[in-house]
Amino acid sequence: MRIGVDSNVCEAHGQCSVVDMDLFPLDDDGYSAVGPDATVPEGEEDVARIGVESCPVRALSVLEQE
Amino acid sequence: MTGAIADDLLTAQASADPYAVFDALRREDPVHWSGPHRAWLVTRYADVSAAFADKALSNDRVRPVLAKQREERERNENQHGARRAEAGGDDGRPASASERVLALMSGWMVVSDPPVHTRLRKLAAGAFKGQRIAVMDARITALVDELLDGFLRGSGEQDLISEVAYPLPATVIATMLGAPPSDRDLFREWSDELALVAFGTGGAARAERHERALRGLNEMDAYFRGLVAQRRAEPGEDMLSAMMSTDESDTQTSRDGLSDDELVAMCALLLFAGHETTTNSIANATLALLRDPAALAALREDPSLLNTAVEELLRYDGPIKVINRWVVAETELAGRTILPGERVHLVLASADRDPDKFADPDTLDLTRSPNPHVAFGKGIHACIGAQLARMETRIAVGRIVERLPGLALAREPVWKDALASRSMETLVVTH
Repeated sequence: MRIGVDSNVCEAHGQCSVVDMDLFPLDDDGYSAVGPDATVPEGEEDVARIGVESCPVRALSVLEQE
Repeated sequence: MTGAIADDLLTAQASADPYAVFDALRREDPVHWSGPHRAWLVTRYADVSAAFADKALSNDRVRPVLAKQREERERNENQHGARRAEAGGDDGRPASASERVLALMSGWMVVSDPPVHTRLRKLAAGAFKGQRIAVMDARITALVDELLDGFLRGSGEQDLISEVAYPLPATVIATMLGAPPSDRDLFREWSDELALVAFGTGGAARAERHERALRGLNEMDAYFRGLVAQRRAEPGEDMLSAMMSTDESDTQTSRDGLSDDELVAMCALLLFAGHETTTNSIANATLALLRDPAALAALREDPSLLNTAVEELLRYDGPIKVINRWVVAETELAGRTILPGERVHLVLASADRDPDKFADPDTLDLTRSPNPHVAFGKGIHACIGAQLARMETRIAVGRIVERLPGLALAREPVWKDALASRSMETLVVTH
């Protein structure tokens, strides 16, 4: 599974990081630092999905299910 | 800007309906110096957002108060020729009960900046993450149903806050920390005492309550120390055990576990931060639905609305009106120069009604999506318990709506005169 953030959309709500700060790291200003294309470690797909859905401005997306 | 703009958020009128006051501030003077509060009131969504990201606005706001208090005490002691050793011990332990509690609070991650904040936050986040969602969901549902069983046994006018919304979160936190269920009531008392101390006393009349609260918090301190010792000897699956464990696989972030002092402070913080806020979320959400029969009916009809409904209810009348920042460097907000040493009140409840961000902000729209409200704050300090708070609110509101089909408001609620929280004294209903 791969996830990514659209940095133009991210508003630094930090809600993804509340779900899992390892899968969804923030930069110093609170914006998502997950990058445009990140691979989710095996077994963490469910948490990743919850994190993506937690974004209140839909800046995060699942790029590829596995 | 008019000179007569209402900027005292602590009048009875402003407590009952702060949104009219916020509206005027947002329109007329969105970054406003309030004489009554001796602080800047920031009321627009864009400015609140910018403030969250501004490093000149620090969360490190208890330590300066503590330092000042210590300095004053030491000055007094020197003046009176008292020896430090007699007053407070010469081992650096604070002397007064008030100083001891402030010292405890000054260790909270919520009043820290990076890098102190980063380490505490990572440990607490790891502990939250270790709690299995399905298990928590089942546990909270059982607790809500137990409280509603009791509520349904009563008849006539009853207070939904004291019966349901208030006891739930303290019990959830007690359970998550691994405390025995028989100690629930203690958690509720300490939570009240923490709130009293953290939000100030509001005058001499309450000084006695303040003293009592401080004594209560000393008991809390001793209780948490006992719990920490127990869990160190016999770790469980609770959050407390998780926060003391070391994770050797993660050398990068030095997850070295928390010291006893840090664990006690963290327990107190989780209780303080997770209790009244969640009570308010549940109570304010229920009130908003009672005032909007069409929305209430829609939610009863279609429980799948619950997820977006909870976000909208948090936006519409969330648990926190104001959070503070302490200015540590000169900065600018909406053209106003803010100076070091000043205080800034970020008015979350106003930002969440800003028409520049939300269409029809004063309308409760349970299907609103996206819904980028700031009820949980933003950025690196965004409420770490947000997912738990959402779960508690979703389950409680869902079960209230489902199990109390005849729910009706019995009396107009009275709002507490509180700056930080949006909080009712009681929510008296019939069912």
